[in-house]
This record gives sequence, structure tokens and C-alpha cells, in this order.
Amino acid sequence: MNAARGSVSPTPPLAAQTLEVDIQQAQPMALCGAFRCEATELLALVGPSGAGKTSMLRVLAGLTRPQQGRISIGGTVWCDTEQGIFVPAQRRHVGLVFQDYALMPHLTALHNVALSLLHLPRAARLAKARHWLDHVQLTPAEQARRPAALSGGQQQRVAVARALAREPRLLLLDEPFSSVDQMNRRELYRLLAQLRRDLAIPILLVTHDLNEARLLSDTLVVMDAGLVLQQGSPEAVHRAPRNARVADLVGIHNRFHGRWEGPSGETGWGLLDWTTDGVDTGSAPRLKVRDKGRLEPGQHVTWVIPGAGLTLLNRGPESPNDFEAEVAEARSLGDMTLVTLVLTSIGRAPLRLTLTGPRRPEITIGARLTVRLDLSLVHVMPQRLLLTP
Amino acid sequence: MDWQALTLSLQLASVTLVVLLPMGLWLGRWLAHTEFFGKAWIEALVMLPLVLPPTVVGYYLLVTLGGASPVGRWLAEHFDVRLAFSFAGLVLASIVFNIPFFVQPVQRAFETIPHALSEAAAVSGLSTWQTFWRIELPLAWPGVVSAMVLTFVHTLGEFGVVLMIGGSIPGETKTIAIAIYDRVQAFDLTSAGRMSLILLVLSITALAASLFASARLVARR
Repeated sequence: MNAARGSVSPTPPLAAQTLEVDIQQAQPMALCGAFRCEATELLALVGPSGAGKTSMLRVLAGLTRPQQGRISIGGTVWCDTEQGIFVPAQRRHVGLVFQDYALMPHLTALHNVALSLLHLPRAARLAKARHWLDHVQLTPAEQARRPAALSGGQQQRVAVARALAREPRLLLLDEPFSSVDQMNRRELYRLLAQLRRDLAIPILLVTHDLNEARLLSDTLVVMDAGLVLQQGSPEAVHRAPRNARVADLVGIHNRFHGRWEGPSGETGWGLLDWTTDGVDTGSAPRLKVRDKGRLEPGQHVTWVIPGAGLTLLNRGPESPNDFEAEVAEARSLGDMTLVTLVLTSIGRAPLRLTLTGPRRPEITIGARLTVRLDLSLVHVMPQRLLLTP
Repeated sequence: MDWQALTLSLQLASVTLVVLLPMGLWLGRWLAHTEFFGKAWIEALVMLPLVLPPTVVGYYLLVTLGGASPVGRWLAEHFDVRLAFSFAGLVLASIVFNIPFFVQPVQRAFETIPHALSEAAAVSGLSTWQTFWRIELPLAWPGVVSAMVLTFVHTLGEFGVVLMIGGSIPGETKTIAIAIYDRVQAFDLTSAGRMSLILLVLSITALAASLFASARLVARR
């Protein structure tokens, strides 16, 4: 191991900085899941409020001790309940940017940052703090102010500087964009991109804004009710959500019911009956879709189709993949139009899509169109069990 | 004018404060940060001297610590310390009696510090001790200052407990409040009036100064 590091590369190899997490906790609140995050990778923890995202960050920072689990980064074990290892927050070298920044109100911006550097002599401490505040573009005058005299965006940059001054092995950002206005948000995106270039460490971001998560992250970890439901690249999670709840959480609108009929005879393809809200009319259209072999025949399923799998035709249905539709709502927002269609043959099931490009005159409320589905893009998953009596 | 009594009162107040400061800071911070079953009982115990008549507190102190009590006898035999009718006893009584005046404002002050600040300090690498000195104490300072002033002024004016446990021995237990009572009993209203005025001016100055100081401290945030 030491030989591998050698004197040639001054920094340890990136693989040695991978964060690995595996937590099982039932009390005081459920928190379960395993995920990993490589150095230079940006991982977004997403989920509704109360999903346990912040609790997960607190466990990673060492502020709470999980009931059971293991957390390691590179070769260092931060927590291993089986072996009784728990490294407290003071010794973890984690940079944590709190949601409300948690800056010390009685200290100037400069001294807030210097707090992370108490191991240095005073002069060096202040010089280094100044360096980090310059890095996040705070002027010397602003550096001498207390947090109350700084704007929200400036306070946030102080919080980021304080986290960076810790020379962290892991950077944690709790809802960093929630209380920042649109203009500062852009600056923050830029700062984040710069950090990813400069720091070879894993970065974890908690957010409930899916667009942001999709835009910024390499990996999504979807959480709900304390459980990690799925981990994957944003594209993979959107294309193939593991179950209906994940589809719900990542904001996939076009979700439909169906019943799995089993293999189609052609390898890799199966048959799906498009049912309406569980009501079996006997005339449900049968679709031939991709089969991953995980479903039982007769099983009730949820299926999704991405926007890329939908084509609008200005004529009547021509193939079994074509369905009659009526425009229920059309809102034009400059270069794009948000359209809601109802599928007249499928119990008026709603279908939402976004059209880009110049406004199309045929899309008016009440207009009749045909929707063609690209069935190779359909993703079928087990239906969420409804906990109703 | 009984200068000796005034000096004794100032001494008593100072010693009380010095002993109570670390004790009260610890107790107040602990009560602010800890939740446990039965906390209400501890808090009630802390507040008790506030509602009990001073004579009752003095009576129990005399009974538990006086020369006839087991504790009193043990202290007298082993350390030659007699708490009843002595300055040491007065200090002890004064500490007990001042606990609510000190601990309450300190506890409130620590309670108002957001928990996230201590956590941010921990993540920044500060030890519990460093967090206390650099974050918690400066933020709680206005509350601590008012607790100190309240305790000091309150000790200067305490009468009932002092009379019960200390009596009125000049230079040993005769504080200014006792001296005033003494003068009134002797129909020396001029002396009593002069001492009362000194106590009044001293108290109001200290209170005003602490209010002014804490307003300044709060405004600096």
C-alpha cells in the first residue's frame, strides 16, 4: 500500500478516497441504506422533507451515532458499530455547510473561518482564513463583518470557506440552494463546479429540488421515509426507476397502470395490458415492451414512458402503438409548450409532455391528435403496495 | 454609619460570587443542554429558595449544619469548622439562597444558543472545552453578567437567612442589612437612613450598569 503511493504521486490515489456507507437503524428514526461516492464525484441525496436526508448527513459528519452500520473513507474507518469504532465529528475532517449556515454570530467572517484552523498559530490561522475567503470572493471589508451584516449569499460563502478551511476529506452540503435567490444560485453553481475541479474528494449534496440534482450530480441517491430506495446516475434513475415510489419522487409524470401478461415469445420482450386504475374492462390494449424477467404473469404493475418515447401525429391512429388523444391543457412559455393530453381510449388517462420549438397552431384545447408510443422505452416496475384496508 | 458591616457585606457578596460562578455556569449549562426524566424536579429544587421564606431556608440550614447536627459535629471535630454563626456558614447559606438568581438567567442564556452552532464547532474540530470558551460563553455572556449582578446585589441585601444562620456578630456575621435593622431597633434612624441610601444607590447602579452592558452586548450581534 505504502509502496503503491510512493514518492512519485504526492497525493494518494483517488480510489483511496472513496466514501462507503452502510447504515441500518430503526431507532430513534428509521435510517437504512448503503451507497458509495468516489472522490471528485458529486452525489445528490434527494427525497421529500422527512426522508432522512439531513439525518444521513449528520451520521456522515459524526454528529449522530447510527444504531448499526459502517462508514469508511479511503482506508479510514469512521464508524463500525460491530467493532465499536466511532470517530467523533472533531476528528473526521468533514466540511459541512449547514442549511442555515450556522455561522457564529459574535465572530467576524474572518474569525468564523479561522475557527476551523485552531491548530495553527494565530497569524498563520488568520492568513489562511483570509486565503479561503478570498477564494470564495469576499472582499476584505466583508471579511471583517459579522454574519448579521452580510447578505444570505455572502453568509453562505463564508460557510463554504469555513468548511474548506478544514481541508476536508468529505464535503457535505445541506440544501445549499434553498435560501439563495436565483442570481446567487448561478454563482453558487459556478463555485460548486470550481470546487469539484479543485478538490479530489467526494461531495454530497442534500436537495429536494430534482432539477438541481439532475443538473449538478453524477449520482442520485433517492430516499424516502429514512430508506435509500435507489442509487444511480440521474439518467438511469429517470429512465428506469426501481419502483413506483421512486418514479413518484423523481417527478416522472407519465405513469400508468397495467397487468403483466408474461413473455411474448420473442426473447427480451414481454406483454403488458394497459389497464385503467386497476379497472379491467377486458378491452385493455396489449403492448409489447421490454422484459427484464423480474415480473410474475398476472402481477399488477406501474409503467412509465419518458418524453422521448412520445410522438404527436396530426392524423388518426395507424398502428397498435398509436392512441387517440385530446388536448386538455396547453400553456406556452416562450420556446416551450407544456401540454396535457387525455387518452380518450384509455379512460381519459392524462399524459403530460413538453414541446420545444416554435408554437404549434394545432395544439389548442379540445384538438384531437394521435400519440405514438415508442414501446422500447417503456419501463415496467412492480406496483407500490397501497396500505389501505 | 457602620462601615464594618458594609465591608463585610461586600466581602460576602464577592466570595459568594466567586464560588457560585463556576458552579452555576456548570449547572445552568447542564440544565440547558440535557433532557432527562425528572428534570422538572431538579429545576424545582433550584427555584425553591425563590419561593420559600428566607427564615425557612435559614431554619433548615441551621438544623442540618448547626453544632447539634451530625454534619455540624463532624465538621467541628475533624476540621474545627463551625458553620452556625460564622462567616463560612454565611457564605454557604448565601450560595444556597442565590442558586436560583444565578442559575436561572444562565440556563436561559445557554438555552437560546442554537444547537447547530455547537455542532458546527464540533465539525470545525473544536473540543467541548474550546466550544465552551469560544462560542457558548461569549454568546451566553449577557445572561451570565446579569446573573452575576443579580447575585451580588441580592447578597448585599439579604436579611432573613443571614439573621437565622449568622446572627449579628460584628465583623463576623453582621452584614449591612442586619446593621440597618439593628439601628432602627435602637431608634437611630439617621444611621439607618444613611445605610439604606447607600444600599439603594449601590443596587440600582449595579442593575442599571448590567442592563446597559447586556443591551450593548446583544446589539453587537
